[in-house]
Amino acid sequence: MNEASLNNLKAIEGAGAASGLRNWRFVKDRWVRHVMAFGGISVIVAVLLIFFYLLSVVLPMFRPAALEARAEYGVPGGADAETLYLGTEEYAEIGLRLTARGEVIFFATGDGHVLDSKRLPIPAGASITAVGAGEPSQGAVAVGLSDGRALLFQAQYINTYPGDKRRITPGVRYPLGPAPLKIAEDGQALTRLAVQSHADQTTLAATTEGDQAILVSFKTSRSLLGDTTAVERKAAVIPATYGGVTHLALSVKQRDLVLASAEGFLLYYDITNTPHLIDRVNAVSNGARITALAYLSGGISVLTGDSRGRITQWFPLRAQDNRYSLARVRDFQSQAHPITVIVPEYFRKGFAAADESGSIGLYHATAHRTLLVTEGAGQALGHVAISPRADALMTLDRARGLRFYTVHNEHPEVSWSSLWGKVWYESRQQPEFIWQSSSAAGDFEPKFSLTPLAYGTLKASFYAMLFAIPIAVMGAVYTGYFMSPAMREIVKPTVEIMGALPTVILGFLAGLWLAPLVEQNLPGVFAALLMTPLAMILSAWLWTRLPASWRQSVPEGWEAAMLMPVIALSIMLSMGLSAPLEAFLFDGNMRAWLGRELGLAYDQRNSLVVGIAMGVAVIPPIFSISEDAIFSVPRHLTLGSLALGATPWQTLVRVVLLTASPGIFSALMIGMGRVVGETMIVLMATGNTPIMDFNLFTGFRALSANIAIEMPESEVNSTHYRVLFLAALVLFAITFISNTIAELVRQRLRLKYSTL
Amino acid sequence: MDTANERRTAPSGLTHGFDPKLLQRTEPKVTREADVKECLGVQGLNLYYGEKRALNAITMSIPERQVTAFIGPSGCGKSTLLRCFNRMNDLYDSVRIEGAIHLQNKNIYDPDVNVADLRRRIGMVFQKPNPFPKSVYENVAYGLRLQGINKRRTLDQAVERSLKAAALWDEVKERLNESAMALSGGQQQRLVIARAIAIEPEVLLLDEPASALDPISTLKIEDLMYELKSKYTIVIVTHNMQQAARVSDYTALMYVGDLIEFDDTKVIFTNPKKKQTEDYITGRYG
Repeated sequence: MNEASLNNLKAIEGAGAASGLRNWRFVKDRWVRHVMAFGGISVIVAVLLIFFYLLSVVLPMFRPAALEARAEYGVPGGADAETLYLGTEEYAEIGLRLTARGEVIFFATGDGHVLDSKRLPIPAGASITAVGAGEPSQGAVAVGLSDGRALLFQAQYINTYPGDKRRITPGVRYPLGPAPLKIAEDGQALTRLAVQSHADQTTLAATTEGDQAILVSFKTSRSLLGDTTAVERKAAVIPATYGGVTHLALSVKQRDLVLASAEGFLLYYDITNTPHLIDRVNAVSNGARITALAYLSGGISVLTGDSRGRITQWFPLRAQDNRYSLARVRDFQSQAHPITVIVPEYFRKGFAAADESGSIGLYHATAHRTLLVTEGAGQALGHVAISPRADALMTLDRARGLRFYTVHNEHPEVSWSSLWGKVWYESRQQPEFIWQSSSAAGDFEPKFSLTPLAYGTLKASFYAMLFAIPIAVMGAVYTGYFMSPAMREIVKPTVEIMGALPTVILGFLAGLWLAPLVEQNLPGVFAALLMTPLAMILSAWLWTRLPASWRQSVPEGWEAAMLMPVIALSIMLSMGLSAPLEAFLFDGNMRAWLGRELGLAYDQRNSLVVGIAMGVAVIPPIFSISEDAIFSVPRHLTLGSLALGATPWQTLVRVVLLTASPGIFSALMIGMGRVVGETMIVLMATGNTPIMDFNLFTGFRALSANIAIEMPESEVNSTHYRVLFLAALVLFAITFISNTIAELVRQRLRLKYSTL
Repeated sequence: MDTANERRTAPSGLTHGFDPKLLQRTEPKVTREADVKECLGVQGLNLYYGEKRALNAITMSIPERQVTAFIGPSGCGKSTLLRCFNRMNDLYDSVRIEGAIHLQNKNIYDPDVNVADLRRRIGMVFQKPNPFPKSVYENVAYGLRLQGINKRRTLDQAVERSLKAAALWDEVKERLNESAMALSGGQQQRLVIARAIAIEPEVLLLDEPASALDPISTLKIEDLMYELKSKYTIVIVTHNMQQAARVSDYTALMYVGDLIEFDDTKVIFTNPKKKQTEDYITGRYG
């Protein structure tokens, strides 16, 4: 091999190595680029997934209600006898039909075939002239007879599981025995009947042929050994019925009775002892009649339907003189024909109404929503039954037989107005914003107003930012602009480490240490908030009066360290002065004084405590980011300003803050986002009372804390559960929108004040 | 002077490495030593960065309404000396200064001197254009606003006058309210000069004002200096000897903290008294 070819070879090898290196660099470059792209896209995808997951849980709440026709068949057991009552059981598998002949016919709802038929023990010679049904969840039905007596029965369904399959055996029981009960003393036929029966107490209200309204109650008492029962009967005549009674309704607690009169009046009676009239209101507009009357589940609200298709909700309101009156709460005008029947749901504040055209409407009272109105077939619907779970509905008319529907209506409680608006809840004096998602009672009216929660979040943010912004931003200005580098190297990391403090510890300290401390030293806390800045200003002024030789003994930029004892001293002094101040200015008790003089309530865990604790939590991020922004203002700008004869203060205000404004703005927005989403501190340091006032001394409930409190106890996929997800989505939206606005503003500012 | 004992060199006239044509733009000087009044008098100025001495017993007299150039290799202390005139060195950590600089018979390092006031009287333009992130108008008006002058008419007049004086008016008069950051580098530097002269200082310190600019902008700045010296005392630091020769009336050569030679520019470039000066301007070191 000669030298030339050797050199050639070396050159080729070199080129090979170079191209190998180039390839390797290229591969690394590509690889890193892809890893970074993957990381960035994953973050976006993760955020989107969270958003869509929240949305997927929330959206079913806003799905419209639907009726799905499942079966249609002739009247079970034959249409020759008139139907008096229609009902169903828990699983909506078995229907019940009561005929005018006193037959209780149990049929399969799927195809209408008769499973069983029982005959009520109606004495010979008597016939059924009236029927009344109690609260649907109690299942009591009473039939009124032509001889002035009434028979109370209850359908009962016994579930057995032979071969692991559910079998429902229907039956009829008589809570007060199979013998008819005497209602009308004079033996006149009963024309209308209302009943409520619960445990040992049964009440019946009836009208007789002689247009008399009677109230009879039965109290069952069992002897100690349970072998004998005694029934105590009490009867009363209902006074002042003002003409013909067309409808009767008894509340489930058997304390209230509502009558509808032929002239369109609602008569509201207290029947706790002897019945007496409490209020009488005209329930319909001129020319209309009341055509339906029913209690809403829970027995507080009464619904009237009139001949114009309007449905009105009423409930008793206590006026200032402790007297009750029936208040007209809300109207529904969704059906055009006279309402024939109103059927309440078993547990929710929803109801179904049918009209003379045969159309059915599904409504929810609290949400003030008409969920659905079907097209009528022209034939009046006399009977509608809702299953206990409100997932099935039956209608019956003589001509077209029985129709069985599945109801898709899981979340009727939710509407824009019930989530964000003022809602007039049952027994409240006026429409209000209330969050009260659950109670021990099954017939409770859930109050899902997000407004007090959002208000709580904003209140917390306001007070926390009020505390944090001045300290954090001014601290950042001093640290970034005036402080000596050596001191800055200590101060900045220290504040940043404060940001690593778990908020659960801050919340714990705030709730258990700070809240009682603030409560006991309230004047001291305010004195400290006032005196500390004053003491700082005063000592700064005194500093300038000191002899120069003293001042020069402190290195430049370290003057702030001299303030630490001043701050400590002023806080200690303020706290020490707390008791004398309280005695001198506030008659010895500032909390009482606040309540008396300013009308401000005081809770131990209040917004002041949260403001301080959450302020402490957000000072580090706001400080750190603002300080970075101020510190990174190019030196040539500050020098340029100083060279024009600006004082350091003028330079700070006119150049440094201006140039750092995008960064400071970001810092505030990031602090805001942190405060809005903060959970542990608001959870632990407030009373979590969802009230709406801006008082510094009362607590609140924030959206985030509310989710933390209630999520563990909410039933999966219930309305409550989904509303909590909606609250999370609202939080997400608040932070997303505020961050987006912040970013847009920041971009604009940066464009304007960019120094590149 | 520390350099007094250095070997004196014979006048060597023009040497290679320096083009005599560059001097043609400098007007023949009619000034005599006697005609020139002192503006800034430097006496025995020592400056230390911590323990390190950066300026060595500088004594010199900057003449009024003339252009004085400081030349010398990098790190020789010419910018540091310039910053002494408006006490910008105060802003750098661990700088200690001994000696005195007199402005109108008042030592600017006296403790009762108001630094902000001093800097208003002695304006400064930096190497890198540093307009504020504000509009062209607000940049020029900045110094006046600092003094509490906010009357629109006064500001308008001052802005127009300064921008005209800085030969920028025609280029920016239509865009006074646009951000100064949108101007070109050369325009920004002239804007900064306009900003400095808007407050009518007595002295204008220019720290390598054209080193970050293209040749055309450099030329404009140089022309501007020629215009401005009728009103202001100008002290310029430059790396560029040709520039010093073109624009200055007096030139000072510095080397590692020492003032080597300070004289009429013509003398420095044509007939320096010291060998070191000659070596530097002929390009033997630097």
